[in-house]
Amino acid sequence: MSSIELQNINYIYSAGTPFEKAALTDVSVTFGGGVITGLIGHTGSGKSTLVQLMNGLMKPTSGTVLLDGKDIWAEPKKIRDVRFRVGLCFQYPEYQLFEESVMLDIAYGPKNMGLSDAEVKRRVADAVRFVGLDPSLMQKSPFDLSGGQKRRVAIAGIIAMEPEVLILDEPAAGLDPVGREEIFGGVRAFQRERNSTVIIVSHSMEDMARYSDELVVMDHGRVHMTGRTSEIFRRSGELTKVGLDVPQITRLMNILRNAGAEIPDDIFTVDRAAEELTKLLAERKG
Amino acid sequence: MLKDITIGQYFPGSSPLHRADPRVKIILTVMYIVGIFMAKNVWSFVFAVVFTAALVIISRIPAKTILRGMKPLIYVIAFTAIINIFWTKGEKPLVEWKFIHIYAEGLQFAALMIVRIIALLAGTGVVLTYTTSPIALTDGLERLLGPLKKIKIPVHEFSMMMTIALRFIPTLIEETDKIMSAQKARGASFDSGSLPQRAKALIPVMIPLFVSAFRRADDLAVAMECRCYRGDVGRTRMTELHMKPLDWILLAAFAAFIAVTVVINIFAPGFSI
Repeated sequence: MSSIELQNINYIYSAGTPFEKAALTDVSVTFGGGVITGLIGHTGSGKSTLVQLMNGLMKPTSGTVLLDGKDIWAEPKKIRDVRFRVGLCFQYPEYQLFEESVMLDIAYGPKNMGLSDAEVKRRVADAVRFVGLDPSLMQKSPFDLSGGQKRRVAIAGIIAMEPEVLILDEPAAGLDPVGREEIFGGVRAFQRERNSTVIIVSHSMEDMARYSDELVVMDHGRVHMTGRTSEIFRRSGELTKVGLDVPQITRLMNILRNAGAEIPDDIFTVDRAAEELTKLLAERKG
Repeated sequence: MLKDITIGQYFPGSSPLHRADPRVKIILTVMYIVGIFMAKNVWSFVFAVVFTAALVIISRIPAKTILRGMKPLIYVIAFTAIINIFWTKGEKPLVEWKFIHIYAEGLQFAALMIVRIIALLAGTGVVLTYTTSPIALTDGLERLLGPLKKIKIPVHEFSMMMTIALRFIPTLIEETDKIMSAQKARGASFDSGSLPQRAKALIPVMIPLFVSAFRRADDLAVAMECRCYRGDVGRTRMTELHMKPLDWILLAAFAAFIAVTVVINIFAPGFSI
């Protein structure tokens, strides 16, 4: 179980020029092992910068990034090893597919790690299982697949590296509900089976309510709140202030509660809401 | 990072030179070059330098930026100076050593040449390249070259291609950056290994980049057609260019620059070339 700890991170774009812009200011946060953490925040709040600092694609202007207590920049020449341990899947990853076949594309990362052919094969097969791809697609060109399938191939390409920390930037953006479900389900399965640390950047409060255990809320380059997902979504006032919101169903429940209905304040999914409402209606009848 | 590459030298601002009509600025540039090459003696050179300095001040482009822009041309300037010093013949040599003869005229000539090149770079820079965005420049060129359409030269198509290319350079650079980061996250390394290895490492970047460039081109073509683009004929413009008083004043000032230069050439005494 690996953890990533960021200590007093500052990141400034184009430092020393008139276009200087602080993207992150004094960020200190720890992403602990064995849970799915949601990273949420308004557009431009520094989420994308933060995730790129975590696998060494960008170097903080000041501050340290610790992976299992070790500074990832202690040996800059070995930064590639950090990238294998901290897998980062960018937004719209289907635009980076390039190989002749799905199989080869997923194997690109593991091959770069210098693994044996047998091991690469095993990892590809495992990754394909996690993201729920049909094995009959393996020999097809990735460019012949549908959008949702391409997305899954790209995510499998990261999962096949079996990173200790898996970071996904908006993995379900632009997918239909079934596609979202499949991707998040696969990520959950990967996290449980490997007991790894997963960080998901998302704009969808509904997805976060269903799939994340903890949340980190960013605002204007700072960490605004951290806590269990259920705790954060109880603080709807504070979320609104930073341009975010609670899940729609929670908003509805809040309206009902304010109107006098006896409904608990920790309902974040439709299933739970249905359960509570049926109970409430049964009470009224009885 | 790739993002830091600037296209052209455009330096945004709101000075009179920034606000002038791009067509006028292209004409002014030609007039300026003519004026500079007409300067023949020391006094007309002094006048040209003063005029250029005035343009730089009006444009509000920092002198530092302009000087930095000249850096790559330092060798050309030095080479010109050396050629002129050694190859100009005069009346009495200042230095005579073996085959080297340096005359006072040579030194003067070299000095004026340096002044001329520096003034040309600074002047054309502040009149055109620093103060005109690449898009405005292509637009201005299209209209100035408009008459060529009569002899079947596709001026509009060329300028549309230029405009689109310029528009997409930053987008594609950003895209390249993104794809490179994504492949780096999968263990690609672009800055180590032998040359063939490095070239091979670029395949995972080039293929997605081409795919996305074609996709963008397709999307753009459809978007243009949806908005009824069918080429030049019957097309109106959102920003019609009109000559404003500022443009006439600038044209008059540059005409005066040429006229005064000619007058000084004729009447002022001093070393002339």
